[in-house]
Amino acid sequence: MERTQITLADGRYLIFYTFAEPAAPPPPAHVEAPAEHEAARPAPEAEEEERRV
Amino acid sequence: MSELRWHPLLGEWVATATHRQERTFLPPPDHCPLCPTLPGGFPTEIPAPAYDIVVFENRFPSLRPDPPAPSVADTDLYPVRPARGQCEVVVYTPNHNSTLAAEPVEQLDKLVQVWTERFAALGARDYIDYVFIFENKGEAIGVTLHHPHGQIYGYPFIPPRVERELEQSRAHFARTGGCLLCHVLAEERRDGRRVVAETDAFVAYIPFFARYPYEVHVTPTRHLQALTDLTRAEQRDLAACLKMVVAAYDRLFNLSFPYMMVLHQRPTDGGAYDYYHFHVEFYPPLRTATKLKYLAGSETGAGLYINDTLAEEKAAELRRHVRPGVWQSETAASAGAPARDGEGQAT
Repeated sequence: MERTQITLADGRYLIFYTFAEPAAPPPPAHVEAPAEHEAARPAPEAEEEERRV
Repeated sequence: MSELRWHPLLGEWVATATHRQERTFLPPPDHCPLCPTLPGGFPTEIPAPAYDIVVFENRFPSLRPDPPAPSVADTDLYPVRPARGQCEVVVYTPNHNSTLAAEPVEQLDKLVQVWTERFAALGARDYIDYVFIFENKGEAIGVTLHHPHGQIYGYPFIPPRVERELEQSRAHFARTGGCLLCHVLAEERRDGRRVVAETDAFVAYIPFFARYPYEVHVTPTRHLQALTDLTRAEQRDLAACLKMVVAAYDRLFNLSFPYMMVLHQRPTDGGAYDYYHFHVEFYPPLRTATKLKYLAGSETGAGLYINDTLAEEKAAELRRHVRPGVWQSETAASAGAPARDGEGQAT
């Protein structure tokens, strides 16, 4: 992901985000829609500023 | 004029922002301020003929980095302070008539990455203690622009709803030594009746304690506090799970389903919030295809939500409309042709 920041005429910032096209499909995100009345699987055991977060 | 006035009865701030009365209200599509600015066309807020995702400072902010002095004097009874903070608009796509539900999972994945970057950037500012990412969708919610977009508010304090969640989470941790939302998630998965969809890293469910008929929470299975804690794979998984939820919403009544979507993350005030658990909440106002759930006297005046439905029944209803999220690039690779969103296609 790349960001390009510009300043609008009234002084506000605007950032364009661009993304490189993936060379290959991303790793499969396993997805699951539970069937009707099917119980879910059991629970498992159970550049602006420097980052401050 | 904008300022923060103290509500002494509730012990919380109220933001006044009188200039917001002037903001653009449901403009015709050819005058949408969030569309690209085409050569010779209407000059929108975005001075480019094409874009992918754009973030900009709200033209009508309720909070700003350099707020004016309050219009009234501060007193002991009525404290008032400048409305300092940040309000940003996140434009999801250049396609005016789209929605998150209609976009491919890839676009939601890009959005998750942008949210993550904005959380880090805004949270790093010393005057922002809480970064609140949200979307209001649909006229039923009161949107003034139909173009698909969300917002980010950088608050100079922890907002009261989040503060209450933090208090509850802190108290639960002190009592049990465990995370409140981890325990909620384990119970929802054990019971199963309210689970709507699952991916490897996220579970979507209508919680036992839902206040809206189709209120859905999307929670990571791993205990973490913010978007910045997600791995790249978990970012993709969040996008896929969100896509399943919003697409199911649209299929439910065969209409573009209105909702509020909010992200609850840890504060960015430098405190320790290891006990807290990041999640996403959806509050849809519809209780049937044609009837709204109003926040009326009991909800607004007393704080007691009355839900006319059972979460177990509504989850079963919504679950019937969930389809696995499919990555467009995978579909294109297998079919040898580009795929677009829709029933039976890449969603």
